[in-house]
Amino acid sequence: MNADTGNAVTASAVDGGVEAGKGAGNVLEASSVEAGYGERSILRQLDLRIGPGEIYALLGGNGAGKTTTLSLFLGFVEPTAGRVRVDGFDPVAQPVQARRRLAYIPENVALYEHLSARENVAYLLDLAGQYEGDEAIDRALAAAGLQGSAFDRRVGGFSKGMRQKVAIALALARSVPALLLDEPTSGLDPQATSEFNRLLDVLRDRGIAVLMVTHDLLSAADVADRIGFLDGGRLLEEVAADGEDRFNVRALHRRYAEQAA
Amino acid sequence: MSWLIHELRLILRSRLSLCALLLLLALAAAAVGIGLHEVARQHQAIERVGPLQEQDAAAVAARYADTGDPGSHAYYTFYGTWDAPSDAAFLALGLRDVAPFVLRVRALGLQSQLYEGETFNPELALSGRFDFAFVLIYLAPLFVIALLHDLVSGERQSGRLRLLLSIADGGSLWRRRVALRYALLFACLAVPVVAGMLLSGASMAAMGVVLAVVASYLAFWCGLSLLVAARNWPTVANATALMGGWVLLTLVLPTLANVALTRAIPVHQGVDLMLAQRQAVHGAWEIPREDTMRRFYDSHPEWRHSAPLPDGFHWKWYLAFHQLGDESVADEVSAYRAGLQARQEWTARLGWLLPGVSAQALLHRVADTDLRAQLDYQDRIAGFHREIRQFYYPYLFEDRPIGARDFADRPVYEASPGPSGSVGLHALLALGLCWGIGLWGVLCAGRLGLR
Repeated sequence: MNADTGNAVTASAVDGGVEAGKGAGNVLEASSVEAGYGERSILRQLDLRIGPGEIYALLGGNGAGKTTTLSLFLGFVEPTAGRVRVDGFDPVAQPVQARRRLAYIPENVALYEHLSARENVAYLLDLAGQYEGDEAIDRALAAAGLQGSAFDRRVGGFSKGMRQKVAIALALARSVPALLLDEPTSGLDPQATSEFNRLLDVLRDRGIAVLMVTHDLLSAADVADRIGFLDGGRLLEEVAADGEDRFNVRALHRRYAEQAA
Repeated sequence: MSWLIHELRLILRSRLSLCALLLLLALAAAAVGIGLHEVARQHQAIERVGPLQEQDAAAVAARYADTGDPGSHAYYTFYGTWDAPSDAAFLALGLRDVAPFVLRVRALGLQSQLYEGETFNPELALSGRFDFAFVLIYLAPLFVIALLHDLVSGERQSGRLRLLLSIADGGSLWRRRVALRYALLFACLAVPVVAGMLLSGASMAAMGVVLAVVASYLAFWCGLSLLVAARNWPTVANATALMGGWVLLTLVLPTLANVALTRAIPVHQGVDLMLAQRQAVHGAWEIPREDTMRRFYDSHPEWRHSAPLPDGFHWKWYLAFHQLGDESVADEVSAYRAGLQARQEWTARLGWLLPGVSAQALLHRVADTDLRAQLDYQDRIAGFHREIRQFYYPYLFEDRPIGARDFADRPVYEASPGPSGSVGLHALLALGLCWGIGLWGVLCAGRLGLR
């Protein structure tokens, strides 16, 4: 990332067709989606495509529709128009298949406080119908960067960063092709944020499509392959990483500030 | 079945849930233990009656052996009767607390003897005994509420709901959690009951009915909890609604229904019958003896051939006016019993609306401790009392002396410990409605989610 140079940023309007997805197909796909709650329209003509091994950061102010976008892929919100797919499956019409291909990490990872990290992952894996023994869980916890001594500790005393690692371990153990992150770095200190971003690199290397909604421009610029700006339910602009310096953070910040205004 | 291990771990690691389950188990075990102890005490009391009865009769025989006077024998000899508890009585002691299970009667007027003990143990009539029926009907719903009131709202408030629903279908998740909680609650209640029934030698049929009652009643409360949870209210609102339901269904409505029944079907107290009978008996001292005997012979012509009364006191006149005293209140006795039975029938009908009433009535029926059991015991006493009169009347009305050998042939009350009470199909059907609520709740569980 380079905050001083402007040539690393390539931007185009969504309709202009920023190349979506790295692989043969898109893992997360929203096409011309309209959605809302009751009479209240939240998302308008949303087009979003994220391919395997791609990290997409969705930025926007409060009420822009970021969380609704996540709910769309989770099947919690039914689109009134357009189409939503998770690895080819409709989250509303085919919830079982879509859920098996998707992991979700909320802003504040709430786990069962009276269970250990291993037991939490085991329980949630069992709930997903993907429990295959504790060895796989231990591997996932280690891959997520959790210290071995914490595996058997009750999560009641875990920091937010440690809880996120447990949630990441759950996603790794489930071998899902897509991961949704809701404000993942909110409340994390810089070191934990950096650790988390390196963890996302691991996910990218494993070919997982990641959609993160965030306010944290620096973190998004650090790890994302593309950044989308959402405002009033519309995806106004997408910026793709370019070259070694990836993003021009100053230029990104200016755009973000303009859209927020 | 790995889901079972994981869900078990989840609930048993929760200190609150574990404490609630252990407490329910302890309460059920204590109730069964107390019930078994009480039944054993009643058996011992009944066993003590036999030898004491023999001693008493021997004393009478020794005292009046030389007189040959059947009237003295009839007047002074008490006969023990008893109502042995059924094998399942420990579950629901019911009316055995307030009605005597041992009653000594003699050849005098029966009605006054039947109701002399009616106010026995009045303090227990108020609060009821701590037995299994009490634990099931009044306490178990509180534990259901404790374990289920925050089934979904608890997850929402702790921030786990979206994570959970991103992984699993909410309907199946809630259903498996409810099923496990239901099974654990059932086990906490059923294990002490089964142990108690095995110890007491209760029949498999009785055990089946009792377990069906437990299962159905829990199904009702679990279903109700799910229906409330389906409203997607906050935890506090769920708990308040369910506690309100508990107060309404187990306390307020049954009490109001009882008051309404009492007013709609007025029934004299047994003590009123006793007083009326005594009044008739004591009044006999004030009227000519011949009038009394004429009335007696009119209703008992088989003794009309008896010799006229001599001057002075004669036992046959005394026993005749006692029997006339019984007969003078016969209509009131019939009305009293009919009134009680009518109330019982209305209570059974109420069971179609109030599961607690239905479950309680079924438990008392299986335990044979309900009104029907009490009236059956009174019928057995009345039958035995007829035998006693029929034993003495030939001696009295034919002026025959009674000897030691004759006295030895006096009637003896025989009643083996009763089996568990039989249960009518309609009562089980009424309880079946509980399953309707339970299944409705389970169906609604599929709707529980993020709203």
